Amino acid sequence: MPKARPEQSVFEFLTYPQVGGDDWAYMSQSAQVRTLEMQLLSRTVLMDMANAPDFSAAVASLAAGEYALPQGSARFEDVQTVLLEKRANVRELFADWMLDAAVVALFKSRHDFANLRLALRRTLTDRPFGADYSEEGNMPPELIEHVLEEENYDLFPPYMRRATEQAVLGYYQNKDIRQIDYAIDQVEADHKLAEAARIESVFLLNLFRIQVDLTNIRTMLRLRFADAQHRQGLLAGGFVELERFRQGLELGSEALGQLFFATPYHRIVDAGVAYLTSSQSFLKVEQLCDEYLIGFLRSTGQVTAGPQVIVAYLLMKEHEIRTVRLILTAKKNLLDTKLILDRVA
Amino acid sequence: MDYGMALALLGAGLAAFLAGIGSAFGISIAGRAATGVLSEKPERYGQMFVMVVLPGTQGFYGFLGAFIVMLQMNFFGGGLAQEVGIKLGLQILASCLPVGIAGLFSAIQQGKVCAGGILMAAKRPEMAFKAGVVYAVMVEIYAILGLLVTLFILWFGIKWPEFATAAAGA
Repeated sequence: MPKARPEQSVFEFLTYPQVGGDDWAYMSQSAQVRTLEMQLLSRTVLMDMANAPDFSAAVASLAAGEYALPQGSARFEDVQTVLLEKRANVRELFADWMLDAAVVALFKSRHDFANLRLALRRTLTDRPFGADYSEEGNMPPELIEHVLEEENYDLFPPYMRRATEQAVLGYYQNKDIRQIDYAIDQVEADHKLAEAARIESVFLLNLFRIQVDLTNIRTMLRLRFADAQHRQGLLAGGFVELERFRQGLELGSEALGQLFFATPYHRIVDAGVAYLTSSQSFLKVEQLCDEYLIGFLRSTGQVTAGPQVIVAYLLMKEHEIRTVRLILTAKKNLLDTKLILDRVA
Repeated sequence: MDYGMALALLGAGLAAFLAGIGSAFGISIAGRAATGVLSEKPERYGQMFVMVVLPGTQGFYGFLGAFIVMLQMNFFGGGLAQEVGIKLGLQILASCLPVGIAGLFSAIQQGKVCAGGILMAAKRPEMAFKAGVVYAVMVEIYAILGLLVTLFILWFGIKWPEFATAAAGA
């Protein structure tokens, strides 16, 4: 387990934790990233898309950028293909730029966990294995299928073996399929934090701790909203102590802002709960969580050269592609513009 | 054996070697930044060039320091007429250190400043001179101070024996 990962009741940072120092070996790659960052979609373009009267107009807003479609084409499938291509390209670039193979493997493990989650859910509930798996992980989906069929988990890398064992154990305790997700989420968080500590990357460690905190905020609010009897799904390893989230499950909505006042997530909880109470929707919480994470990634601008610049670009680009997909999907399904704006603003 | 001569040559060598190493590192840092930007924006070559070559000046300062030592010792005028002596050798060695050490560190740091300037120029070309070159020149000042100290010591701080001036005059 990482050495310095104490939960914090007093935070040593006001808004964002530190992103680490320069690593001049990444100078050329960082310069490329800084140039490519200029091609990221501006807020204006996203707002134009969200405010567009229909799907075609939203697609037309992308015409000047790298997501431009061939002349006359405005089908959702075409946009989808372009977006998936761009996402694959940026992941390939990331793997090329990163000098530390362990960081590449760490980010590829996201796909391993997603594939494993899908495969285990299907295997444990006796459904067909399916073919909708990501090919971008460290382990091919066919091998995952083979291992699960044989029940020979030793063929998995240690993190996947641990996740599988804990998920299977959790599932068979009361045949609750949610236990698979809880187990995989916790093992994934532990794996990321342990690897970040092993690589000795301050940036990655802080990034993953933020991700754990943001996941816990979402989980806490969902559990409260659903008035769920069980209190599972909170992840250990973030900056905020788990006890605070458990208290949040017990307190009234009006006390949540106060509870998180001393944390950097005060605004997310405060504004998110207000929106949730008035609109019965998690849109604002999701938007604020994204905004906080992107803000942290943007703070890598203070680093001239280093792996954090490249990681931040990968995550910002993935976020941009996700946002474009989200807006276009909403437009295609004729969702209200205000809802879209609440989610992406 | 003329230990004084060995010390003097060590000084001249250090001046050129340390400052040269610094320049090589500095240029490599700035150069890598420039290649990264140029891979996406080749039209920015002219702006990048100045910032890539700036850390190279320290290498020339080191060479200049070493060259003046050699000149004072009549290297190019038929050699020396007498032994240098340990005292003079140490004086020459000491005189070479300012330009060598200042050149070594300032060139590396200047390379980093130039790299930052290159990244700035990639996003905001109008800031290339203001933020890139001007800040880099501020670092350059300290290399120049190192060179000046070396030159002042060599010209005014050391009492050169007759052989140098006599040979140079001849």
